[in-house]
Amino acid sequence: MKVDSNNFISLAEIAIDNPNLQEAITKGTNNAFDKRQLAMFADGRAHGEAMRQQAAEAKRRALRQLPELLEKAENMMTENGFIVKWAVDGNEANQMVLDIIREHGVQTVTKSKSMLTEEIGLNPVLEASDVRVVETDLGEYIIQLNNEPPSHIIAPVLHRTKAEIRDIFVRELNMTPTDDAGEMVAFARDKLRSDFVNSDMGISGGNFIIAETGSLALVMNEGNGRMCMSLPKVHVALVGIEKVIESLDDYATLTQVLPRSGTGQNMTVYTNIINGPSRPDEDGGPEIVYIILVDNGRSDIYATDYAEALACIRCGACQNACPVYRSTGGHAYGWVYGGPIGAVITPLLVGLDEASPLPYASSLCGSCKQVCPVDIDLPRMLLDLRHDLVEKGNGGRVWQLGMNAWAFGNVSPMRFELGGRVARLGQKVVGNNLPGVLGKWTKYRDFPDFAPKSFRQMWREREKGSDHNG
Amino acid sequence: MGSREQILGKLRAARKPFEDVPPITERKHMVKLADLSPETLRARFIDEAEKLSCYVCEAKSDQEALDYILAVLEDRKQVMSWDAKHIPIEGYQDALDKNEILVSGYNDPMVYVGVTGVDAALAATGSLVLCAGAGKHRATSLLPDIHIAVVKSDQLLPDLEAWIAQEKQTGTPAFKITSNTTIVSGPSKTADIGQELIKGAHGPRQVHIILL
Repeated sequence: MKVDSNNFISLAEIAIDNPNLQEAITKGTNNAFDKRQLAMFADGRAHGEAMRQQAAEAKRRALRQLPELLEKAENMMTENGFIVKWAVDGNEANQMVLDIIREHGVQTVTKSKSMLTEEIGLNPVLEASDVRVVETDLGEYIIQLNNEPPSHIIAPVLHRTKAEIRDIFVRELNMTPTDDAGEMVAFARDKLRSDFVNSDMGISGGNFIIAETGSLALVMNEGNGRMCMSLPKVHVALVGIEKVIESLDDYATLTQVLPRSGTGQNMTVYTNIINGPSRPDEDGGPEIVYIILVDNGRSDIYATDYAEALACIRCGACQNACPVYRSTGGHAYGWVYGGPIGAVITPLLVGLDEASPLPYASSLCGSCKQVCPVDIDLPRMLLDLRHDLVEKGNGGRVWQLGMNAWAFGNVSPMRFELGGRVARLGQKVVGNNLPGVLGKWTKYRDFPDFAPKSFRQMWREREKGSDHNG
Repeated sequence: MGSREQILGKLRAARKPFEDVPPITERKHMVKLADLSPETLRARFIDEAEKLSCYVCEAKSDQEALDYILAVLEDRKQVMSWDAKHIPIEGYQDALDKNEILVSGYNDPMVYVGVTGVDAALAATGSLVLCAGAGKHRATSLLPDIHIAVVKSDQLLPDLEAWIAQEKQTGTPAFKITSNTTIVSGPSKTADIGQELIKGAHGPRQVHIILL
C-alpha cells in the first residue's frame, strides 16, 4: 500500500470536515472504549491492572527470547504437521503465497481478516495474477467492495455509517435497499456462503503462536475465519515473527485480555487453536497448512529502543482512547496502522522520512498507555521519535531558532527574568495570537494568559514584607 | 544465506530487550471465582451463557434432552451431527431413526441444525470447548443456523486457566492430537454495520446448550 503519511495534516482536515466519518468514529470509539472499561475491570480495578501487568510480562518475556522461541515454535509446529516458511519482507511473503497458489492450482481464495496482509499488500499481488480474493470478515468485505483500506485494527469499516454501508451494498451488489442492519448482514452471509464452499484456499493471519505446543491461535466473532480455515483444502497463515509466545499459561492470559481490551468481550465468540492439517482419522479440515513467518522490518525494530512496540497484540484499544484518532479516524495516518500504535510503528516500518508528521499526531495525554493491555509506553516512544526527527534535522529552521532562543534565555537568572517581562509586555501588545510564522501555533490553540506577576517577583515582595514585619 | 538464517541471525545479534523486567511470581486467573463448588459453577455457567444470548435447557433426563432437540428441529428431517457415540444422550441415534431424521453430510450448507457434544465447558465465561476428531466434524458447530451442544455436568470446569491446567496434565491433546480446537462463546456475531450487534454473521445465529 502506498504510504501517504506525510500528508497527515491535510488528510486529517478532510476527515474532520466529513460529518459521516465524525458520526461513525465517535459512535464506534465511544462504544468500544466504554465496553473495554467494563470488561477489563469486571473484577475490580486492581485486578484488571494486575492482569495487564501479567500480560505485559508475558509478551516481554517472549520478546526477550524471541530467536529461541521462534526456533522452538518451528520445531513443534513442524511436528504438528505445519509447513513452516520464513519471509524477510513483504515481497518474499507475497511470492511464497503465489507459489503455493500455483502449486495447488488455486482459483478462489477466501480470506480472514489480517492486518499483516494489508501491510505487505498481498491482495493486489494475487489479483494481478488473476487469483480471485474474497475478504470474508464483514467489515473487510465492505471495504473491499468500496476499494478502500481498513481504518481501524479490529473494526475495519469503523469510519462508515450504516447508511453509507447500505449504499455500498446497493451500488456494488444490487441489494434491495434496506435500513435494517440485520438484513444487510443476512445479505452478505448469503453472498459469501457460496464463496466459502467453492474456495480452494483460505488465508488468515494469526494472533499468537504458542511455542510450547506448536499451535497457531486466533480470535474472531463472525465465524468467517473458521470457514476459511476449515472448508478449503489448503490454509495459509501469515504471521509476524513477534507473535510467538512461550507457554500455554501465557496464552490463557493473553487470549482473554485481548477481547476485553478490544471489544469488551470476555472471550471472542470463537477462540481458535490450530495444530496443523486435518489428522488421518478426522473428517474435514484442510489437508495442508502453511505458516509463513514474516519479518518485514520487525527484526530492525527489535534491535532498537522501540522493541516495546513489538509487544502489541493489535486490540485497537489505544485507537479508541486517543483524542487524535477519535477526531481523524484511521485513514488520516496515511498507511495501514492508525492511532497511537500506528504513529509509532508506521515511521519504524516505512521510515521516519515517509511518516514524519505521525510522532506529532498526539497530545501525549497518556490514555494510550493507560488502556494498553500490555502496557506499551507509547507516549515515551512518540517523544523519542520526535527526538530522532530533530536529530536528523527535521526540526526546521524556525524551530531550531526558537529552541536556540529558549536555551539562550534560560541559562542565566537575569535573562530568564528579562524574558518574562518582555513576554508579558508582548502579550499586552499582540494579544493571544502570536504574530508571523508563530501564528501557526496559535491557529488551533489559545495561548494562555501570563500570570500578572512572576514567582520571582512575588517572592521578592514577600521577602520585603517579612523584613517589615520582622 | 536463507531467509530463516537471516532473520534469526539479526535477532540473535541484537541486544536482548527487557532483561530488567522481573519474572512473574504468582499467576492470576482473568476471572475471580470465589466459590468453586459444582452448584455455584453450574449457576455461573448458565448465567454467563444466557448473557451471551445462548438458550440453556437443564435436562433432568435423557428423554427431556431428546424432546428438546426434536422441538428445535421442528418438522425438519435432516440434521448435521457428531457421531452418536460423542453425543452423551442415551438413545440419541434411536430417536433420530424413529423420527426418520437423516444425518446429513458435513458440506451441506443448507442444513438448519447441528448437534455436538463438547470436550469441556467453562463456567466463568459460558464457553464450550470443541475439539475436532473422528466423528466430530468441525462444520457441525459452524455451518448450520442453529447449534445444539450437549454438556454433561462433569464436563464443567471453572475457567480457561483450569482447562489449560487439565490439558497440561493429560499431555495437551487439544493442542496436539486434534488439528483444531474451538472455544465457542455464544452465537456468531458482528457489529461492523453502524455498531449494531447482529447475531448470525457467518456461523450459527442461535446456540442452544443442553445441560444434563
